[in-house]
Amino acid sequence: MEEAKNLVSVFDKLNDLKSLFKFGEKIVPIIQSLVEFMKDIIPLLDTINTSIADSTSKMPIASNQINDVTNATEMATCQILDLVDDISNALASIETALITEKERQEKIELLAQSLNNALEGNTGLQEQLKELLELTKDRRILETVIPLIEAIREDSYKITMALQVQDITAQQLAAVNHLINSVHSKLSLIVADIEKSELNSEMGSSRSNSFDTPDGAHYDANASFTRGEGVQQKVDDLIRENNLRSNS
Amino acid sequence: MSLKFLVVDDSVTMRRIVINSLKNLGFPNYVEAVDGRDALGKLSANSDINFIITDWNMPGMSGLELVKAIRGDASIASLPILMVTTRGVKEDIIEALQARVSDYIVKPFTPQILKEKIEAIIKRT
Repeated sequence: MEEAKNLVSVFDKLNDLKSLFKFGEKIVPIIQSLVEFMKDIIPLLDTINTSIADSTSKMPIASNQINDVTNATEMATCQILDLVDDISNALASIETALITEKERQEKIELLAQSLNNALEGNTGLQEQLKELLELTKDRRILETVIPLIEAIREDSYKITMALQVQDITAQQLAAVNHLINSVHSKLSLIVADIEKSELNSEMGSSRSNSFDTPDGAHYDANASFTRGEGVQQKVDDLIRENNLRSNS
Repeated sequence: MSLKFLVVDDSVTMRRIVINSLKNLGFPNYVEAVDGRDALGKLSANSDINFIITDWNMPGMSGLELVKAIRGDASIASLPILMVTTRGVKEDIIEALQARVSDYIVKPFTPQILKEKIEAIIKRT
C-alpha cells in the first residue's frame, strides 16, 4: 500500500517535471531572445554611457569658454570706454579752445567796430579796417564747428551708454553657465551611477575643479538690452502705487 | 549740497558708465565698490558718502542684502539708495521697495532717467 502511494507520488513529480520541461521549451527561446537582446543592448548602453560621459566632460570646457568670452568682452568694453573717454576729453579741450577763440574774435570785431566809428571820414583807413574785419570771418566758422563738436561729444556719450549691453550679455552668459553647471552635475551623477568605478572619480574630479562659475546666482537670466522706456515706466508706476499704499 | 556717491557694481563696465554719467551730470565725487561687503567697508571708511547707487546681482553680498544691511544700521540707515539693475520683474521691484530702496532704475538706463531719479531723491531728503 505504501509502495503504491510512493509510486503515485513519483508519477506526480514526473508529471511536474514534464510540465516544467514543456514550460522550459516555451521559455528557452524567450530567454535566448532576451540574451540576444542584452548582447545587442549592452554595447548600445555602453555607447550611450560613453557619449554622456564625453559630453559631460566637455561641459566644464564650454563653461570656461563662456567665462573667457565674458572676460574678453569686459576687457574690450573697457578699452572702448578708455577710447571714448579720451575722445570726449580731447573734444572738451578743443571745444574750450574754440570758445575762447570765438570770444577773442568777438572782442576784435567790437574793437574794430568802434575804431571804424572813430575813423569816420578817413576812407583809406576804414577800407583797411574792413579788410581786417573780413579776417575775423572765422568766427562764423567757429559758430558752426562748436555745435558740431558738442554733437560729437553727445554721440560719444551715447556710445558709453550703449556699452551697458556688455553687463547685460554678461548676465545672460552667467545664466547659461549656471544652466550648464546644473546639467553637468546631474549628468555626472547619472554616469557615476552607471559606472561607479572609474567614471565616478573622473566626473567627480572634473566637477570639483573645472568649473570657474562661483556658487550662488548673481545674474539675471531675464536681462535684456532691448527694453524700451516702457519698462522703466512700469517700474515707476509700481513705485508710485507702492508709495501711495504705504502712505495711506 | 555737495554729493559724494558710492557706486556699487561687480561689473567694471557698469561702474564706469554710472561714474561717467555722474560726472556729466556735475557730480564728480565718488567712491567705487565691487559688491555689498566692499560697499559696507567703503561706507565705514568714507563718512562723507551721502548717496548710494547699487546693482542688485553681485557675487558675495548682493545689492538687496546691502540695502537691508544699511537700513538695519542706525548710523547710515537714512542714506539714499538708488538701485540700478537688470531685474525688471514686478516681484523683484516690490521686494526692493520693501527693503526700502529710495528708487529703482532698470538697465539699460538713459542719463535722463538717472538725472531725474537723483534729483527726485535729493528733493525728498
